[in-house]
Amino acid sequence: MTVLDTSPLASASTSLLAPQIAYYPENYPYSIKRHGLTLANCDSEPVRTPGCVQSHGVVLVLRLADLSILQASDNAKVVLQQSAIKLLGQPISAVIGLEGEHRLQKLIAAQSTDRNPLYLLTLPAAQVNIGALDVTVHTIDGMVIVELEATGHTDAANPDYYALVKNTVSKLQASGSLQQFCNTVADEIRELTGLDRVMIHKFHADGHGEIFAESKQENLSSWLGQHYPAKDLPQPARDIFTKTWIRPVLDVSDPLAELHPLINPDTGKSLDMTYCALRGVSIMYSEYLLNMKVTSALTLSIRRNNDLWGLITCHHYDGPKHLSYQVRAACEFLAQVVSLQHHAAEERENLVYRLKLENIHQQLVAEAVQKDNLAAMTQNTLSLLDGIEAGGAAIYYLDRWWCIGNTPTQLELKGLGEWLTNARFSSGSSLRYATDHLVKDYPPAAAFAQVASGLLALPLSQRRRHLMLWFRPETLQTLNWRGNPHEEITVTGSNGPRLTPRRSFELFVESVHQRSLPWKPVEFDAATKLRLSVIELVVDRSEQLAVLNTDLERSNEELDAFAYVASHDLKEPLRGIHKYAYQLLEDATLGDGENRRKLDGLVRLTLRMDSLLDSLLYFSRVGRADLVLETADLNDVLAEAIEMVGSRTTGNPSEIMAPRRLPIVQCNRVWSREILVNLLSNALKYTNKTKYQIEVGYIQAEENHPRPGCPAGLEDEMIYYVADDGIGIEEKHFMQIFKLFKRLHGKDAYGGGTGAGLTIVRKLIERHHGQIWINSQPGQGATFYFTLSSKKAN
Amino acid sequence: MQFICTQPVVVVEDSDEDFDTFQTAVKSAGLSNKIFRATSGGSCLELLRSTKNRLACRPAFVLMDLNTYGIDGRDALEIIKADSELKVLPVVVFSTSASPKDLAFCYRAGANAYHVKPVRYDDHLHLLHNVFRYWLGNVATLGGYKGLL
Repeated sequence: MTVLDTSPLASASTSLLAPQIAYYPENYPYSIKRHGLTLANCDSEPVRTPGCVQSHGVVLVLRLADLSILQASDNAKVVLQQSAIKLLGQPISAVIGLEGEHRLQKLIAAQSTDRNPLYLLTLPAAQVNIGALDVTVHTIDGMVIVELEATGHTDAANPDYYALVKNTVSKLQASGSLQQFCNTVADEIRELTGLDRVMIHKFHADGHGEIFAESKQENLSSWLGQHYPAKDLPQPARDIFTKTWIRPVLDVSDPLAELHPLINPDTGKSLDMTYCALRGVSIMYSEYLLNMKVTSALTLSIRRNNDLWGLITCHHYDGPKHLSYQVRAACEFLAQVVSLQHHAAEERENLVYRLKLENIHQQLVAEAVQKDNLAAMTQNTLSLLDGIEAGGAAIYYLDRWWCIGNTPTQLELKGLGEWLTNARFSSGSSLRYATDHLVKDYPPAAAFAQVASGLLALPLSQRRRHLMLWFRPETLQTLNWRGNPHEEITVTGSNGPRLTPRRSFELFVESVHQRSLPWKPVEFDAATKLRLSVIELVVDRSEQLAVLNTDLERSNEELDAFAYVASHDLKEPLRGIHKYAYQLLEDATLGDGENRRKLDGLVRLTLRMDSLLDSLLYFSRVGRADLVLETADLNDVLAEAIEMVGSRTTGNPSEIMAPRRLPIVQCNRVWSREILVNLLSNALKYTNKTKYQIEVGYIQAEENHPRPGCPAGLEDEMIYYVADDGIGIEEKHFMQIFKLFKRLHGKDAYGGGTGAGLTIVRKLIERHHGQIWINSQPGQGATFYFTLSSKKAN
Repeated sequence: MQFICTQPVVVVEDSDEDFDTFQTAVKSAGLSNKIFRATSGGSCLELLRSTKNRLACRPAFVLMDLNTYGIDGRDALEIIKADSELKVLPVVVFSTSASPKDLAFCYRAGANAYHVKPVRYDDHLHLLHNVFRYWLGNVATLGGYKGLL
């Protein structure tokens, strides 16, 4: 359904009128009357600068500086009884009188008239030939545009438009759904204007239009529910309707009056008539309207923020229908109110739908739980089809498909299910697939496009390939065929059948081939929630844990990366602080004991912070690096470790011994050494004895040996241990000692330290898929046990 | 300390604190070489390019911080080492980062040495003294030889 002034009918190529110009520059003296349009060039029609006005009114263009007339439409002779040529150069007072000119000056000075037509005055009937004239004014690009047209009434009192509009607004506020809201708008506009048919058009996400609501005279057939392709409303027209609210066409078969001269002498350009109510109608548009036997038309825009959400188009079939400035102003005001309020109406509608979906889904889950069978959702009186609007639904569960409504065949479902599991949900990260054009992603869907052009699919269990699907039929199948435009009686004008609703509808049908209506965000949400409630029914515990573990792993990785960046960036300012403290300390005089003590503290703290950051950096690096295994003789590794902690034992009559030779194993050599170094230095630190013993050993899987504190399942693993005879720790602290930066003693007691050592040890062991635990009693020494690989991990 | 090479030293350092430490080290080491400071990898490249034909300005080595604004030290290192003329300049990386990734990157790009900036002030000064002693004393560079760059 072409509704507006232009039409990009690029496919046709009939050339009827000359000259053929692909694009009209702004200094080209274009006029619809002279140059017209053909199907070949209507794409480039200068809609904003048609050079012509509707002949029932006069347009005068004034220079803003002195309000003298620069351009006049050539129907001035008829309407004002003054020829356009004679008017040029005269002051505007020649038409509206001195008092009128004075009012005009005041209006321009006081009001914001730029691109905003305002009522100036009414010229009484006595002065002109065709009755009283309403004068409206707006300014644009340094010009004042004065429009004069018949008031549409004699001396009868105007109806109280304010009361009418106020009444309408309160009705709109009371309407529940968007549909109800739009119905009310259509009825009210028809009431206000007296036009025969009022339609509310809604533009869908893909740009195509739908007649969403309609109010009409009883004897007219309904066009409600008709769709037309996005092309029917070309971009130039859309642009105009994001700037102006209203577009009246008084007489579709009007011959139009040309501006004289066509090019504005001051600007050297064609006049931008975007904001003129009298702007001349394009030939394409008027032919289209004539083809539908429309005699008079009015269009209003509905916007959401700055985008065109839809249009209100009004048709009249009984000759020219004049709408006075007041009626138009009331319509314009209504269009603005509608634009502000339809969003709220839509939200209300969404809310109602959301609540309905949640309610139904809850009932479905309850039933499935009760029967302990997911298939119940497709088998009972209440089914998946009662929730999300769809033509069919299917669940893959217990190795078969359970269907309801119109769905592809079992064989087709098998192929679709395999494709979804392998191509869409294979990564495990994608939890939803929704499309209104399944054939595009999955060409075999062409075979069942009628029932399933649209698909909303959710994976329920990756491993067992459980799926939940909703299908939407091809849009064509869902169209409301009431008022089929094929049955509408239309005529065909000189540009052929393209400009008819029938052809427009055909084009729309082509554009929605193998497409469904799109899925709404509220439906995504409801489906996602349903999936979460259902998943527990179908997914076994181990799989749930696997999913949770993946999530945990990912967040650990992110944490590691964060720790690395954070601690790294903290080092630079820390170095600066340390340096200043150090320099101040050097400068402080010897006698200044108190300050020296404070500065000493500052220097010490910066160094402590430095070692904390180093630990954090190392910890995060261990978390991120890959585990590289090699064959290592643990005796060599131990020897290296002892050497590394050697400085602490120098001059100490202590002993680190291994009662039997350690094995040769697969491990990361550097990390294993790090484990031993940390455990040994830990053992060396936490002791009060002057002579102590540390034992490093292992317990083989089948060996008869106590394994105190051994976690379940690790009894048959190779267990290593580092045992000391130091101070020991209480059982309640067993978990805490592995926490990052957690120390059980004062920060300078037992040689100080950051409290990261055991955390790093645990991380290194975990990276080996091993575990660490401790057995100890205060005063009885402590033994750290660990494994380096778990059979399960292998 | 004995310094044989008298060519200037280019320091890429965006932290004023660290540059101040550098100057302290220069003074305490008794260095008389000219010091050119750039605050980013990008301005270091400009400096090197604009002075490359003036023998007296040819640096003995470039002390390169990695994390600067704009074109950073990593970029500058890569560009210098890929430049047929500039690549003979010794680039000594001097960074807060001890990340194996940064080390690997710099050595792969052709860095001549990599030092981690210590937080401890006297360690910092000590390390700089060692760098001076090595690069201006022990090592023969192309710095002062005409026509070789």
